[in-house]
Amino acid sequence: MTDRPNTDGSPFDGLPGDLMIWVLIVSELLVFGAGLAAFLGVRLTDPAGFAAAQDHLHRAAAGVNTVVLVTSGWLAALGAQAVETGRLARARGLLAAAAGMGAVFLAIKWAEYAGKAAQGIGVETHPFFTFYYLVTGFHAAHVAAGIVVLLLVAARAQAREVEAGVAFWHMVDLVWVLVFPVIYLLR
Amino acid sequence: MAHVTKAWALLLALSGASTVLSVAVARGALAGGAVTLGGAAILALSWAKARTILNAYLRLDEAPAFRRGFGLTLALYALLLLALYLAG
Repeated sequence: MTDRPNTDGSPFDGLPGDLMIWVLIVSELLVFGAGLAAFLGVRLTDPAGFAAAQDHLHRAAAGVNTVVLVTSGWLAALGAQAVETGRLARARGLLAAAAGMGAVFLAIKWAEYAGKAAQGIGVETHPFFTFYYLVTGFHAAHVAAGIVVLLLVAARAQAREVEAGVAFWHMVDLVWVLVFPVIYLLR
Repeated sequence: MAHVTKAWALLLALSGASTVLSVAVARGALAGGAVTLGGAAILALSWAKARTILNAYLRLDEAPAFRRGFGLTLALYALLLLALYLAG
């Protein structure tokens, strides 16, 4: 935990981390939140078709990916704590491990997409899959970006940069715990 | 145990519960209204996971006013998703 001096009396002084990373987090949550609400809205027009399409998804693999991502978030949080206390080697190791777990997430996602392609399932197969590829693909792009960010901040190991990079990674984690049940689980 | 480690353990437990519920629904172990209740429970578990990430991983526990604001917004959003799910 870092004590932050109140420098300008701004109401945002109490926020953990930079204000701009929170602006980014809220923006991303609005985009994904709208996407998921639209998904459930379109589902109202064809609930049986959406349920049948969902049966083509691999729920267990997505469940494993949830464990991978929340574990990655835990490693990143420990890394941020380590850099704050000056344990830079430990911080770099934890952040690299978090990035590695992100790579595992993408590998599982790639296998999932390859399985769909092998079944001839594409973006235009059904509106369910249009949303599926759009939402999970956009999220996967954020995971890929987050891996790069984690590796960059791990290399420099500066407290402010690590805090911002790790906050971005937690946002990716947060989005997934909303995407996973809506797209993969709800019947 | 560190705060973030407790949060991680909680997230694993909540994720496990979501997966068990969804597998039960997919295998036909639940039927009729129980399927809908199962879906509502899955959404509630998701809301709990999101709150845990916001409060522990993103450290809103250190900023109670922002924690309340984000918590309220997230709860309203979860209710919107629940309403859309129940309407289906």
